[in-house]
Amino acid sequence: MMENETILVIDDELQIRRLLDITLSAKGYKVILSSNGREGMVDAATYHPGIIILDLGLPDSDGMDILKKLREWFFKPVIILSVRNSEEDIITALDNGANDYLTKPFRSGELLARIRAALRISDQRDENPIIQSGSLTIDLANHTVYKYDELLKLTSTEFSLLSLMVKNQGRVLTHKYILREVWGFGYQDQTQYLRVFIAQLRKKIEDEPSKPQLLITESGIGYRFGQ
Amino acid sequence: MTWFGEKAEFMFNSEWKQYLLALFMVGITALVCLPFVNDQGYHIVSLILFLVVSVQATFLGVGPVFLAASVSSLVWNYFFIPPSLTFHIEKAEDILMFGMFFIIAALNGILTTRVRRQEKLAHEKEQRTHNLFVLTKELSGAGNVDEILGIAIHEIQANFHTESIFILQDGNNSLNTFGRLRKDIKLSKPEHQVAEWAFLQGRLAGAYTDSFPECNYTYFPLPGARISPGVVALKLANPFSDEQKKLWETYLVLISNALEREFLAEAAQKARFLAESDRLYKTLFNSISHEFRIPVATIMGASDTLISGEHSEKITQALYAEIFSASLRLNRLIENLLNMARLESGRLSVRLDWYDIHDLINKVTGDLMDELKNHNLTIDMNEDLPPARFDFGLMEQVLYNLLINAVQYSPPATQIILGSRFENRTMIIQIKDRGPGFPEEQLQNVFQKFFRLKGQNTGGLGLGLSIVKGFVEAHQGNISVRNRRNGGACFTVAIPSENPDISNLTIEEE
Repeated sequence: MMENETILVIDDELQIRRLLDITLSAKGYKVILSSNGREGMVDAATYHPGIIILDLGLPDSDGMDILKKLREWFFKPVIILSVRNSEEDIITALDNGANDYLTKPFRSGELLARIRAALRISDQRDENPIIQSGSLTIDLANHTVYKYDELLKLTSTEFSLLSLMVKNQGRVLTHKYILREVWGFGYQDQTQYLRVFIAQLRKKIEDEPSKPQLLITESGIGYRFGQ
Repeated sequence: MTWFGEKAEFMFNSEWKQYLLALFMVGITALVCLPFVNDQGYHIVSLILFLVVSVQATFLGVGPVFLAASVSSLVWNYFFIPPSLTFHIEKAEDILMFGMFFIIAALNGILTTRVRRQEKLAHEKEQRTHNLFVLTKELSGAGNVDEILGIAIHEIQANFHTESIFILQDGNNSLNTFGRLRKDIKLSKPEHQVAEWAFLQGRLAGAYTDSFPECNYTYFPLPGARISPGVVALKLANPFSDEQKKLWETYLVLISNALEREFLAEAAQKARFLAESDRLYKTLFNSISHEFRIPVATIMGASDTLISGEHSEKITQALYAEIFSASLRLNRLIENLLNMARLESGRLSVRLDWYDIHDLINKVTGDLMDELKNHNLTIDMNEDLPPARFDFGLMEQVLYNLLINAVQYSPPATQIILGSRFENRTMIIQIKDRGPGFPEEQLQNVFQKFFRLKGQNTGGLGLGLSIVKGFVEAHQGNISVRNRRNGGACFTVAIPSENPDISNLTIEEE
């Protein structure tokens, strides 16, 4: 069913639209193309896409405004497609409810993987308290974490950090967001806390802590829990 | 007397005062002498009066002294030469005496005042020469236009007791954008138009001149041998005297020469700068057109082949791979050009935050996975390195460029070592390869823009390492390169980084 999902692409560059059309259609997705924000809003309301790929630099309006307006009623995944050197924009977009981001130029394989991940998450949004990810089993209700069926000893901060990441699996969480959720409002600039705890957590849950597969760094932006 | 004007009235008065003083002194002397003189002593009186006139010559003008000489000779004749109280002289020797008294007193007085005036002129001349010397000396020491103007305005104030405004041309022989005017002074628009007129015509204008005499200021164009630097405006209380005019002309020439010297120096510097940027422009465009064409040609050729016909699976795959690698190369070129532009613009902002060095290295080695697959990459670092403070994006570029450099310059299957450690609150990152290294004499040029080793053809604009250096220095860090003992190059990046403050973190029980 996933492969028949409708994808709305809002991008002003014809060549990118064409490329995405070919790439995504080849994978069986139904593709709707919009070249500006106004058109995109209309298409989103008309076709009820399962996912939206949104360019931040649109000619008629700021992609950020489109995102905010979309998020008033559209709760399915939004992936941001933006040019490089706009870390701040990406962080703002993620804080405004985008699920993921990709910078141009991008590899289409990467985009397809992100789309699959985002759709899977949005698909399994049930309240299952037990989450399985690779060798890791996380029981959110009982606050327990097993790795290869072995109970891990986590501090309470480590557990809140891990459960926050796991609950948002596949989604990029910004530093600020994580710090605010786990430590509270006064701590949202204390990135060094986050680095220390992520390093500790990686040592406990990753097979190879220096090459993490679960707690993945999104450089300069935040973290994502992989699958 | 009002029609003479205030100044003239004052001058007249002081002249009158001198004449009155001269008469008064002669009168007093005669009165004092009168009671003591009998007929026999009247020769002494002539000597006393003569003395008075001589004394007067040392401080009064020619006119008053001449008057004193005439009056005293008449007084002597009338009151003292017998018969007294008449102008009649009996003895022939007294007539001679009277005549000689008058001539000697007058001559003596006039000669003394003339000597005095010449002395005064000589002194003034000396003072002027000194002032000019001071001006010349100071102007030659001035390093820029502002300093010259500062000195000129000060010296004009000191020697001509007048405010001066310099309006300099803008480099295009025009004052129309208000030139380079001192910020604290504003000329009214009509005044400025007169200044512009004076500049364009090269003629005097403004107050006390034939052109626009209704102005508040007098405008003197600054004479220049090749370019006129502009106009100077003086607020004069009186028109210049001939002496002042001569002095002022010398001032104008000296100041103007100094300004012109600076203007020409600026123009020469500008020309040099233009030539330099022209050279850079050419280099950049030559290499850009070359560097861009190769990947574009690859993409065009390979995709054209793919479109035009059926090929075996193997060939098709190879062509796809070529297109992909050419696009990566294009992307790298663009990235480097953009980074260079960021550095050159001077607006590079460094956003420091705490990062895990492992994350940095994983990101870069992940991005370069394809490029690195033919080399043996060894990561040499402690698992437990503390977080360090840097700009992730910039350091990513640093590492990326250094690694791609190592890959491009060293033969396949050789080892590339990427190491990191902390030393004295400094994060050290080292990249060692087994390529040819650098000729010793070239080591200091490695980080220069457009530096490329002769005979190497690995592609690239020669910008990579200069960007690395720029980004490292933006972190207040430094980068060095040396040749390794058994061949290859070793780049060392040092970034200052405090240990993170995590003292507020509560220690938790597991």
